[in-house]
Amino acid sequence: MAHLFRTVFIQSLSKTTRPMWSTVQRNMSSHNKETDEEFDERWKAYFDRPKIDGWDIRQGINHMNRLDLIPEPEIISACLQACRRVNDHSLAVRYLETIRYKSNAISKQVWPWILQEIRPTLDKIGVSTPEDLGYDKPELALKSVDDM
Amino acid sequence: MNSLLLRNVKLTQPQVASMLQYQCRVDASTASSSSSSTSSVVQNNPVVLDNRKPAPQLDADRMRMHPRIGNREIVGYGLKGKPEYFDLVMFPCPSIRWEADTPAIAELRKKEKGDWKQLSVEDKKRLYRSSFRQTFEEFTAPTGIWKWAIGWTLLSIAGATLAYDGWRRICYRFDGPDSMKDAKLKKQLEYHIAARQGPMTGLASKWDYETGTWKK
Repeated sequence: MAHLFRTVFIQSLSKTTRPMWSTVQRNMSSHNKETDEEFDERWKAYFDRPKIDGWDIRQGINHMNRLDLIPEPEIISACLQACRRVNDHSLAVRYLETIRYKSNAISKQVWPWILQEIRPTLDKIGVSTPEDLGYDKPELALKSVDDM
Repeated sequence: MNSLLLRNVKLTQPQVASMLQYQCRVDASTASSSSSSTSSVVQNNPVVLDNRKPAPQLDADRMRMHPRIGNREIVGYGLKGKPEYFDLVMFPCPSIRWEADTPAIAELRKKEKGDWKQLSVEDKKRLYRSSFRQTFEEFTAPTGIWKWAIGWTLLSIAGATLAYDGWRRICYRFDGPDSMKDAKLKKQLEYHIAARQGPMTGLASKWDYETGTWKK
């Protein structure tokens, strides 16, 4: 009995209370506990795959467009390079148009900033922006599908 | 496998069916006959018809949709996996290209495989239009339908009001009260004068009460 008490006593002396200094992000929702960096990394890795094909790029673009965010310039650059690998320039322009439309819905300052951030990639690959092709204004006046 | 032996065998076992099929295809191939026998089909085409290879992938999508989409290349998943074209803000990449592949486009696609800086602006625009029908600016452009909406709303309100009024005039026609008939009005005038209404400057001031007539 005494032996038991002594070991417990010594144990409690040697144990030190560890304060919670670790920076754990607490999410109130029960799903999706990844941080912003992990999100960016995941999407960049998705587009950086060397053997990605047009199907997966389109799937990724469509999925990312539904999320409530504008992708980081790194993700945009990775996607443009993926388009380069599958030799589809129109897809790259379409993607840039998506980003432009989404960012203009928020503020007129976002799109110039994004262009400035991805300018190195644009120059390296040779993708035209929608403004270069004159697609920042409507070009053709086609009948809307809803009116047919 | 000796072809003679296999062709004369009776199809009592179904396992032999596949072997027979294979052998028939070998005989029909120009690949084997050009290489083996002398009395073969002259093969001028660099593409060799080799029936021993499996048929190209004719998937269910292509078989079902070819009457609707023709030769257009299926490039993605699209909205629900169906090979249909759409221009939507929410889903920027449709599942098929807009235009069918013509030799001119095939040329441009070949050029696209090279350096994109060599593509001119017209080339790029041509490529874009062959993959997509409208640009984002075009299908998000304002349609001006609000003018139609307001105009038709006002017109229908006016029409309804007129119809209601017309119906009231037709269906609810009665004779009015006799308040405005001459006999009633005359009596009313006599009562007003007797009650001295307007004695200084109005009605009764114009009546001569001694003679019982209007003042001269």
